[in-house]
Amino acid sequence: MRFIKASLTLLALTLSIHLFAQTATFKGSFKSDKSKQPLGGVMVKLSTENKTKTLTTVSDNEGNFIFKNIPTGEYKLKAKSAGFGEYEKHVNLKENQVLFVDIELIEKITNLETVSVFTKINQENENGSRLNEKNATNIMNVVSAKAMERSPDINAANVLQRISGVTIQKNSGGDEAYAIVRGLEPRYSNTLVNGVKITSPDEKARYVSLDIIPSDLLQKIEISKTLLPEMEGDAIGGTVNLVMKDAPDSMVLKATSSIGYSQLFFDRKYTTFSKSDIQQKSFIERNGLTAQATPSDFSRSNLDFKQVQALPSGTLGVTYGKRFLNNKLGFLIADNFQNQYFGVNSIFNTISPDIYKNLPFISDVAVRYFSSQQLNNGLTTHVDYNINDHNKIVLNNLFLYTNFSQARTEIDTAYVGGNGGRTVPGTGPITNTYSSITNHQFLENMKLSGKHILSKHLLVDWAGVFSLATKRAPDRADLVVNTKIDTVHSTNNTNGPYTFRKTPYYFDDIPRSWQHNRDVDYDFIANATNKTKIKDNGLEIKVGGLYRHKDRNNRADQYDLKPTANADGSKQYFTNINTAQWLVFNPTGNGNFNANNYVAHENITAGYGQAKFTNKNFDLFGGVRIENTDQGFNIQSESYTQITHASISYLDVLPSVMFKYKLAPKSSIRLAYFKSISRPNYYELVPYTIPSNTTSNDEQGNPNLKHSVADNFDIRYELFPKGEEEILIGAFYKQIQDPIEYVYVDNTTYSPQNLGNATIGGIEIACTKYWGNFGITGNYTYIKSNVSSPKSYTDLVAGTTTQKLQSRPMQGQTDNTLNVSLLYKNEKKKVFVQLAYQYLGKSLTLVYPVYGADYYQQPQSSLSLSAEKDLNQHFIAFGKFNNLLNTTTTTKINNLVGISDSFRPSYSLGLRYAY
Amino acid sequence: MKKSKLSILVAAVAITTALVSCSKNSTSTGTSVIPPSNPISTDSIAGPFVKGTLLTGRTYYVTSDITVKAGDSLISQAGATVIVENHSKIVVQGVLQLVGTSALPVVFNSKENTPGTWGGFQCDSAQAVTIKWAKLINTGGPDASGGTTKTLFVSAPINVDVEDSWFLNGQDDIIRTQKGAKVTILRNTIISSGSTDGEAINIKSGCTGTVAYNVVFSQAGSGIKLETSATAPFPQTKIDVYNNTVVACGWRRGLAEPGRCVSIGVGAKGNVYNNISVNNYQGLEIFLDADSSDLASHGNNLFYASKTNYTIADTTAGKSDTISLTSNFYPGDGMGKKVSSDVFANPMFTTFNNDFLLPNGATTTNIFTLMSSSPAIGAGNTTFSPFNIFPTGALPNKDLGAYPTDGSGNKH
Repeated sequence: MRFIKASLTLLALTLSIHLFAQTATFKGSFKSDKSKQPLGGVMVKLSTENKTKTLTTVSDNEGNFIFKNIPTGEYKLKAKSAGFGEYEKHVNLKENQVLFVDIELIEKITNLETVSVFTKINQENENGSRLNEKNATNIMNVVSAKAMERSPDINAANVLQRISGVTIQKNSGGDEAYAIVRGLEPRYSNTLVNGVKITSPDEKARYVSLDIIPSDLLQKIEISKTLLPEMEGDAIGGTVNLVMKDAPDSMVLKATSSIGYSQLFFDRKYTTFSKSDIQQKSFIERNGLTAQATPSDFSRSNLDFKQVQALPSGTLGVTYGKRFLNNKLGFLIADNFQNQYFGVNSIFNTISPDIYKNLPFISDVAVRYFSSQQLNNGLTTHVDYNINDHNKIVLNNLFLYTNFSQARTEIDTAYVGGNGGRTVPGTGPITNTYSSITNHQFLENMKLSGKHILSKHLLVDWAGVFSLATKRAPDRADLVVNTKIDTVHSTNNTNGPYTFRKTPYYFDDIPRSWQHNRDVDYDFIANATNKTKIKDNGLEIKVGGLYRHKDRNNRADQYDLKPTANADGSKQYFTNINTAQWLVFNPTGNGNFNANNYVAHENITAGYGQAKFTNKNFDLFGGVRIENTDQGFNIQSESYTQITHASISYLDVLPSVMFKYKLAPKSSIRLAYFKSISRPNYYELVPYTIPSNTTSNDEQGNPNLKHSVADNFDIRYELFPKGEEEILIGAFYKQIQDPIEYVYVDNTTYSPQNLGNATIGGIEIACTKYWGNFGITGNYTYIKSNVSSPKSYTDLVAGTTTQKLQSRPMQGQTDNTLNVSLLYKNEKKKVFVQLAYQYLGKSLTLVYPVYGADYYQQPQSSLSLSAEKDLNQHFIAFGKFNNLLNTTTTTKINNLVGISDSFRPSYSLGLRYAY
Repeated sequence: MKKSKLSILVAAVAITTALVSCSKNSTSTGTSVIPPSNPISTDSIAGPFVKGTLLTGRTYYVTSDITVKAGDSLISQAGATVIVENHSKIVVQGVLQLVGTSALPVVFNSKENTPGTWGGFQCDSAQAVTIKWAKLINTGGPDASGGTTKTLFVSAPINVDVEDSWFLNGQDDIIRTQKGAKVTILRNTIISSGSTDGEAINIKSGCTGTVAYNVVFSQAGSGIKLETSATAPFPQTKIDVYNNTVVACGWRRGLAEPGRCVSIGVGAKGNVYNNISVNNYQGLEIFLDADSSDLASHGNNLFYASKTNYTIADTTAGKSDTISLTSNFYPGDGMGKKVSSDVFANPMFTTFNNDFLLPNGATTTNIFTLMSSSPAIGAGNTTFSPFNIFPTGALPNKDLGAYPTDGSGNKH
C-alpha cells in the first residue's frame, strides 16, 4: 500500500518535471564558524516538504555544493558534518532562480561526546591534509592525493622524500627505496596500508620498498611521528601509513596516462637479455634434492646481452567509484600500471684499509652500467556498506605486482690484490661481470573492517587483515670473465720504456641463484571508543587489542658453473656465452643448506588503553600499550653443532602521553612523550655464516640480538592560517637503547649487533604559504645523532690492531634536509606549476670497519618540475620532469669516491581524464 | 678372508713397529702397549658425531659428514685407512691427530678415487691439529651446502702441525689457515692439486710459523701464499718460508690470475730463503700491499724455467698466448726485485720432465732430489733471522730446496 503511494508520488513528480519543466539551481558553500576554513565533505540533503523526494550531495574541496535543474518548490536543507552542529534551513526555489547560500557550521563541543562511523573530511585534497594534521591526536604530516597528482612524483617513495623529516634510502640500482623517518634507518619505521602493517617481500628485512606503490592509488600518506597506544609500537622513527582511495560520495571516473623517457637512454643504449629460458624454479626444486644437474640444465640466453634503444616508459591508470543502493553501498576500483625504463652509470670503487698509512685507499676501480625495467601494477578495491547510521562494514583490498629486470655490466680493475696490482696507469687485473637479474613481487593486503555504534557514546570497531607478500627472484646469473694488463719492458730498466700486454679474456665463473620468499600475516584488531562529556569537556576513552600471526618462509638455492678445463689443464678462453663450456660444481645446489633458507614466525599480542581529555584550551592524552612478541626461526644446517631454531619472547610496556595547548583556533602547541621499539629483521637472528673465499672475513647472523627500545620526546608548534597553508615548527629527541647496526665484531666478522645507546634529535620546520597565485611549500630538517661502535684500530708504532669505540652519527642519518617547492596556481586559467628543489646534506650511508673512516653520501641538490593545465572540463594535460640538475649521488670516505651514481634526467608527459 | 689375513699382517707389523720404536726410546727393559681408550671398532662410520681412535691396519668407511665435537678427539694410529663416501667431510671442533709412519702412513681417500670427491678436514674451530705421515688424496669439491671445501681448513689461533704428509690430487686450497693459527708445515708433498683455482699453502690473517722442506708440484694457483687481513692488520702474518721446492705451479687458473711459487701481500711478512722455483708461471711476488720489510727478507732462492718463453693455447678458441718466463721470476706488477744471492740456473733435479701446464690429478715421475752438479748445493742462507723459532730438525740448509744433500729435508 505504502509502496503504491510512493510510486504514484514519484510518478507525479516525474510528470511534473517533464510537463512543466520549471527548474531552479541551488548552490552554496560551507565554512567553519571558528576557523573560517572551507568545509569539504559536508553531507547535504535537500528534501521536499512532504519528504517525497530527497536529493543528496557532498561539498567539494572548497566547501562548495550545487544542485542543478531541480524542480521549483519548497525544500528543507539539512547539512551534517562530524564535529559540527547539524544545520537546517527552509528554502523556496522559484523558476529559473539561482540561489546561493553561505553557510557557517558551528563547531560543537557537544559533538565530542558523539561517536560517528563516518569521516567527513575530504581526504584527497591538501585542505583535508591540513585538517588531518590539525585534528590528529598525535604529531603527523599528511600528503593528499591531489598534492601527489600535481607533484613530479609517480610512486610513494618519490612523494615521501618531499615530506618534512623524511629522506629516502635508495640502492645503487635505483630500484629499491625505503623511508628514513627522522634520520633513522628503515628498520626503525613501519609501513602500514590503511592503518595496518603490511608484509614485506624483502627476503631479509621487514620493510617494503615504496617504489612499487603507484601514488595514483593513494588517497593520502600519513607520517605519524609520535605513537598513540592504539598504534603498533614498533616504530621509533615513525609510521608511514598509505591510505588507499575510498569510495567517493558522487560518481568518479578518472583515467590517466603518460609517456616518458630517461635521458640516460638518449646517451647510451639499453642492455637487455632474453627472459624466455629463465627457469622459475631451481633445479632441485624441479627435480628433487638428490637429482644431479648437468651443464645443459642452465640456460644461456639470459646471459646473451643485447644493446638496444630503450622503449619509452609509460603509465596508465583508471579509477571508478560510485555509491549505490541509496548511498548505502560504496564501491571504488583503481588500477595503475607503470612500465618504467631507467638505469644508472656508476663509479663503484672498492676502498680498502691501507695498513701502513692507517688510512683507506682505493684498491679497485670499477664502472657499472645498469639497465632496468620495472613494471608495476597496483589494483585497489574498496567496498563499504552502511547498514544504517550506526553500522558500517568496509572491505579494502590492495594488490601490487612488480616485475623487475636488470642487466648489469661491471668492469673492475684492481690496484692491488692477489692477482697483482697496478704499476702504471692502464695496467692491472680486470674482472668483467655481466649480470642478469629478474624478480617478481606480489603484495596482497585484504582488510575487512566494521564500525558499530552501540550507544550514542560507544563505538566498537574491528578489523581482520590478511596480508601476503612474496618475491621470486629466479636464476640470477653473473657471468664473470677476466683478463690482465701488464707492462712489458723492452730493456732491463724497470723504469725504462715499456709496452702493454693484455692476456686473453678467461671464462672464470657463473654463479646462478634462485631465491623466493613468502611472508603471511593474519591480523585481528578490535577497539572500543567511549565518548563522554564532563561539563563542557570531552573525554574519549579507547581500549583495544591486536593479535598478529606471521609466518615467513625463505628459500634460496645456488649453483656454481665453473669453466671446464681444457684437455691440457689450461683454463678456457672466453669468446661468448654460447660457446662457453662449463661444469656444474655443485650439481645438487645448496640442498637444504643455503644460508638464506629459513622459516621465521612472529606472533604479536597487544592490548592498550588510552584516554583523551578535550577542553576548549587544551587536549590531554595518555595511555599505555602492552606488546608481547614471540618470534623465532628454524633453519636446516649441515653443521651438527649449529643452532637451528630459536624462540624469543619479550614483553614491552609502552606508555604515551601528549598534550596539546590551543593557543588560538588556528594554532596550537603540542608536547609528546612515548616509548616504542624496533624488532630485529628476521634474517639477522638466523645464525648463518657466509665465509669469504678470498679473505678471512665472515658475515654472520646473531641469534642473541635484542630489540631496540626508545624513549621519544616531541614538541611542535603549528599554525594553520587557511586552506592549504600551514606552519609547523617542531623538535624531537630520542634515546635508543640497543640500536642495531652491522659492525665488525672481532675486526674480521661482520655481524648485526646491539650498540649500547644511541641518541638522535632534531628540528623540523614545514610551511606552505600562498600569495595570490603564487605559493611556496617547503620543509627543513636538521638532525644530529650519536652512536658508538667498535672499529678496527691499528697502532702502527705499537704494531697492534685492537677494537676501539668510534662515536659517529647513526647509519642513514642526513644532517640537513631542505625541500622547497615554488607553486603557481591559477584557478581561472586552470594551471598549476610546481618547481621542486631538494637539498640533502651529508649522511653516513655505511659504516666502515676501520676507525675514523665511514662512507658518507655527499651533499646534493636536485630539481624537478611538474605542471598541469586543464584543457577542458574533462581533460588535464600534465608534464613531469625529474632530476633536471643531473644530480649524481656520490658516496665518499674522506676524499675517496666509493660510489658515484648518475641517473640522468627523466621526462614524462601525460593526460588525465575526469568524468 | 683375504682381507682379514691382510689386516692381521698389518697389525702384526704395526705392533712390531710400535715395539721397536718404544724400545728405542725406552730406558727400561720392559715394554707395554697402551690400548687406545676409545677404539673405533665398526668399519662404517656415519655422522653426526665421532670420537676415538682409528686403529692400525683397519679400513674404515665414512658414509656421511662427521663432526668431532669440542672436547672430543679423532686420533688415528699409523696405518689406518679411511675411505670417504658420498662426498662427505670431516668437521673438527675438538682435536685432530693423525699420526702415521713412513712405513705405515694414515690414508684418507674417496671411494671415487678422483680429484675433488671428499670434503677434507674442516677444522675452523678445532682445538689442535696434528697430521704426520698421512696421505690425503682426492680432496675438495662441493660440500652438502654447495660450498667449496679446502683439504685442511683452520680458522682459529691453535697449533697446526702438518709434517711429512702427502696431499694428492685435491681441489681448491690444500692447507688454508687463518685467524692466528700457529703453523708448522714441514716436509710435505703436495701434488697436482687445484682444478682451475686453489693455492697449495694459503696462510692468512695473523698466522705465524714455518713452512719448510715442502714440495709443491703442479698446483693450480700458488705454491705458498701469505696475507694478513686488511681489516685486522695486526697481528701480522709472519711466516718463515725456506727450503721449499715449487715446480710447475700457477698455470691452470689462466693468465689473468697468475699463480706463483711464493706470494706475499696484504701486509704479511715472509722470510723467503733457499727455495727452488722451477717452471712456475711466476716466481716470487711481493705485492704492492705487502709489508715493505719483505723487500729485504728474501734471498738465496733459485729460479729456473726450462724454456725462455712458454706458449699456452686454447685450441677450442683457436687462440694462444706466449709468456716470457724469465721476466716472471719477479713479476713486474709487484715490488719484489732480484737480489744478488739469488740463483738463476737449472737446479739439476735427479729426474725432471720439464713440465709446465698439466691437468689436475696428473701423475708424475719427477724426482726433485739434486744431482751433485746442482748449483743449488751450497747456495743457501742458514743465518737469516727468523720470525719464529726454527722447528727442531728443520733448520735452514746450506743447500736449496726441499732435498738438501745432507738428507735432512723432505723424506718422501
